[in-house]
Amino acid sequence: MNIEVPAGALPSRKFRMTILYLAATAAAICLLFTYLDMSPSSFVVDFRFIVDLVQQMFPPNIALFWTKKTIFLSLIDTLSMAFLGTVCGGGIALFLAFFAATNTTPHPLVRLAVRTLLAMERSIPQLIVILVLLITVGIGPFAGVLTLVIGSVGMYSKFFADSIEQADKNTMESVESLGSTRLQTIRYAVLPQVMPSFVANLFYAFDYNLRAAIPLGVFGGGGIGFELAFANGLLHYKDVLAYTILIVVMITAMERISDWVRRSIITQPQLITK
Amino acid sequence: MGSSSKEFFRQEPPILDSKFLDWKFLEWKKSIAGQRGKQAVIALVLVLLVALTAWRCNVDVQSFITGINKGFPLVGMFFPPEWSGMADMLQPLGVTTVMAMAATILGMCLSLPCALAASSNIAPPVVRQVMRAFIALERGLPEIVQMLLLIAIFGLGAVPGLVALSFSSIGMLAKLLADAIEEIEPQMLEAVAGTGATRSQVIRYAVIPQILPALFANGLFRFEFNVRAGVILGAIGAGGIGYVMMTAMNSMDYQKACMATLLTLTLVFFSERISDFCRTRILDGGTPR
Repeated sequence: MNIEVPAGALPSRKFRMTILYLAATAAAICLLFTYLDMSPSSFVVDFRFIVDLVQQMFPPNIALFWTKKTIFLSLIDTLSMAFLGTVCGGGIALFLAFFAATNTTPHPLVRLAVRTLLAMERSIPQLIVILVLLITVGIGPFAGVLTLVIGSVGMYSKFFADSIEQADKNTMESVESLGSTRLQTIRYAVLPQVMPSFVANLFYAFDYNLRAAIPLGVFGGGGIGFELAFANGLLHYKDVLAYTILIVVMITAMERISDWVRRSIITQPQLITK
Repeated sequence: MGSSSKEFFRQEPPILDSKFLDWKFLEWKKSIAGQRGKQAVIALVLVLLVALTAWRCNVDVQSFITGINKGFPLVGMFFPPEWSGMADMLQPLGVTTVMAMAATILGMCLSLPCALAASSNIAPPVVRQVMRAFIALERGLPEIVQMLLLIAIFGLGAVPGLVALSFSSIGMLAKLLADAIEEIEPQMLEAVAGTGATRSQVIRYAVIPQILPALFANGLFRFEFNVRAGVILGAIGAGGIGYVMMTAMNSMDYQKACMATLLTLTLVFFSERISDFCRTRILDGGTPR
């Protein structure tokens, strides 16, 4: 009895293909390294700098936590930036999402225009937004908040629009058959369906924004990122390590808390994965 | 609310006398009132938090309005973009792209062993705990903090940016992969182990084929993120298009900054499209090869 084995399934061929893939990956990495003018040897040569830095950093200046009162205020600033950015951005994103979804948009042209604008807005780098805002509204957390709002709107209105488009059509029809206006249909048929995924995504947005708020602080947006960059500029590495510990603890703790709150608010989180 | 309505329908059809209906109506009114109360509390807490945070962030309508008034002439100064500067910017653009790509590839390669060591059905508990703690640390450390520290080690240039991006890629990818590995059904591992396979053979034939799609899909998503993060790291000293943008803004050369923004916009847009396209193909087509 002869069994035809496709050539691609032969073990030797498969093995050769695996080797080929691995070699291609290795070659790609090497090429990219040479393009960036980096040699792996620099990791070894620079190793004494690592030892130097670690020696300068230890022990971390933990005393900063109780000698410097403003440190916790700047932590709260960073948290507030992320929170405001998430709430305002999420609200605006939800509003725009109804215009960008096929089943709720007033006109297909409106949908096209809103979708195009959002796609463009999503691609604008955060760096240029914060740099422009620092000039217009001035240095401080407010510029950071506005940057986060702009970023969240671009990112999440697409998510929300997609989830609105997936909303159950029968529910909408049954509400419409009662003679509801478009707004009432949205309120009683669409909103209850998208709300769980909306809230769950907002919690993820908060985590993301909290991480994004730190670089914004470095550029002048205030908060803990600003303090960190300031200490780093003064080469006070013991302070830098203390701030770093604080940031890691804050981000990890907020992730846990937002996970817990999300679970307790929504029994079944429905996430939109892209 | 969903579960209670399900229970209601699962019950035997009740005898619909007026007493029963009255009772049901009262129950319904009570549950609605309870929901309203809960919603009111949530709304109140939200309003309070927004007010508090707005006060901390110096949210000021006045400065917002003056900002808009100042913003339009400023944005007007961005146009027309300085097209002649485009040729010089292609190299920094390439550096940013390559940095993101190399960081993604490195992160994907390194996250695989980390994920194996962090999953309960492969690694011994002690190794798992240590690895999970390491991954949590990586996830809690923003790229920018790593970047500031790495600049002190490697100096300015693409190397610290690459290292920072690959480290944070490991943090994200390894966690997702470890969760995916822990969800593999134990019967599969037992079936392969039952043929007399060693531990490494179990990993090769039972674990890796199952997580490869997840690895590639998440890696592509991470590439998109790394491009965005690479622009920001560039401004701090990793070079690339972010640095060009930052220096142009600092020297008030807005038209040059506009050109850099346009190039970055194109890069981000296409990286998003490419990673979206590849991801849907991988996730729909099962295994990536």
